[in-house]
Amino acid sequence: MDKTVSYPKHPRKTMVQVLGFNFYDVFVIAFCVLFALICFYPMWYVLIASVTPYEEFVKGGALLWPNGGVDFQYYKMIFENSSFVNSLWISASKTVIGTFLSVLVTSTMAYAVSKEHVPGMKLLNVLTVFTMFFAGGLIPTYILYVNMGLLRTYWVMVLPYGLSITYFIIMRNYFSYSVSKELEDAARIDGCNDVRVFFQVILPLSKPMLAAVGLFIAVGFWNDYYSYMMYIATKPNLQPFAWVLRRVLTDSAMMSQMRTGAVDIGAQLPPPMALRMATIICAMVPIMCVYPFLQRHFAKGVLIGAVKE
Amino acid sequence: MPEYAGVVKAKGAVGGPQPSLAARFRTSVRKYWFIYLLAIPGLVFLLVFSYAPMYGVVLAFKDFKMNKGIMGSPWVGLAHYRELFSDPAFIQAFKNTVIINIYNLIFGFTFNVFLALMINEVQCKPLKSVVQTCVYLPYFLSWVIFAGLVQVFLQAPVPGDVGGVVNQVIMSLGGEPIDFMKRPDLFRGILVVTNIIKTAGYSTIIYLAAVASVDLSLYEAAAMDGANRRDMMFHITLPRIMPSVAVMFLLNISQLFLSNFDQVYNLYNNFVLSTGDVLSTYIYRISLGGGGEFEISTAANLLLNVMGLIALAFTNRFVKKMDVMGIF
Repeated sequence: MDKTVSYPKHPRKTMVQVLGFNFYDVFVIAFCVLFALICFYPMWYVLIASVTPYEEFVKGGALLWPNGGVDFQYYKMIFENSSFVNSLWISASKTVIGTFLSVLVTSTMAYAVSKEHVPGMKLLNVLTVFTMFFAGGLIPTYILYVNMGLLRTYWVMVLPYGLSITYFIIMRNYFSYSVSKELEDAARIDGCNDVRVFFQVILPLSKPMLAAVGLFIAVGFWNDYYSYMMYIATKPNLQPFAWVLRRVLTDSAMMSQMRTGAVDIGAQLPPPMALRMATIICAMVPIMCVYPFLQRHFAKGVLIGAVKE
Repeated sequence: MPEYAGVVKAKGAVGGPQPSLAARFRTSVRKYWFIYLLAIPGLVFLLVFSYAPMYGVVLAFKDFKMNKGIMGSPWVGLAHYRELFSDPAFIQAFKNTVIINIYNLIFGFTFNVFLALMINEVQCKPLKSVVQTCVYLPYFLSWVIFAGLVQVFLQAPVPGDVGGVVNQVIMSLGGEPIDFMKRPDLFRGILVVTNIIKTAGYSTIIYLAAVASVDLSLYEAAAMDGANRRDMMFHITLPRIMPSVAVMFLLNISQLFLSNFDQVYNLYNNFVLSTGDVLSTYIYRISLGGGGEFEISTAANLLLNVMGLIALAFTNRFVKKMDVMGIF
């Protein structure tokens, strides 16, 4: 059955309704379309501007459509920069390793805690959720990483995110409310123990949820620059892509290095604006590739954590 | 809860002396060993990465010496707090945080509810899904990218470079270009608006879910009584999503002292420090961000956490009464 709300027609038709025109509808649609455009247009503009030749761009003509042809010169500059290519590798590898680790650790613990009748699990639940609201803070964490030898290593960008509290809550609620209790009980009556219930009933049932949460966690790893900035900072060969992006967008030294490096390719010094836009597009591409999947799971992904069924 | 759990409890309750805690622990470990096994990796991560740093908050009351470690450093009592409260930058950051959060609550929160109602009212399904696709999109871009977009858009024209779209429009209308990112009086507004654009779509999801659970026969009955769609929105849809709205509102209030480091850090600069510096950026700036004031930073962070817990405990009493969110 279709779940969207559709209103029954008004029994008495007024003149405007007969004409198929309704001020209320017009307002609703105008508002929604306007806000959707505000959300979408910046990305479109940046895409257009990043492929518009410089002379055309300066005239201010490229607002809706790439006038005067398409030009990929800025992208060439970006991919000729070796720190870019290295940072893409760092980001990709930490995303894959981190997502795998995080889904494994978080989902197994969430399943265990969803078994509230097991002694100790309620306490563990409170202990876990408490850390969402109370943390040691930046400096104690920094000192801990120094003592653990994690500081300025690759693993400081992966291990601390092993247990994700937000997704722990979502997964725990999913196991508590959304996995069919009847199936689990039926398996038990057929003589399955906890181990077989987990591997043969729960895991196959939770695959879509694990995939959805995994995608969200992966986006988090891809976008993370915080751990590099705080706990590594001085090792250029460990820079993730998100950090390089931040530097291109804010650090004028990096920008001028890229611009002067580009002089060998093209005749004229490229404008920083256009280079920034091309970089933004490069950073958006991976997210855009998974966006259809993200969006499909989006409503579900948020809901399984929030609404009791 | 499965039935057999009840059976176990009943057995324990039947007469005789209660077994000791250790004995009960052994029994349940034997019975549920696999569940405990599944919890162990998470527990290890929790203890190492969440609980171990908590010990470090004692730094707020110590004079930290790297060579002596946290343990060996001498106690100084509340000296760091005295220093913290006499720092005008901290007071300013505190004020900014609360003011920005109140703005977000007044404008952002209201807008989210309104947007959800409006999206729900769109009758044409393809249009509705296009709108939803567009408004969810910014949520998935990191603040680095999004702040980059904002800066590109608001940029003031400089020689050799046209300004951002906003300034191009202002100039074509005959106005003077505005250097948005260097105006302290505009910065909070920029934070609120960019926050709305980035997260409004995401926030509508919970309300749209609440709408989807409204009984359709209510609308049919209302239509029979001659209600138009606007009446239905105000008298059926809105009351039905009120519990979710109330819960979200309380959750927002409980975060009154929290600040979005990612957003502010990527958008602010020295020109707008007076109105834009929030607690999380302050804590970063005075310590790892170049200040080197490790103890004061920890002291500020501890204060922030405690205030957050108080706010949470306060609002949680109200949330508990509404059976919507399942956090604990």
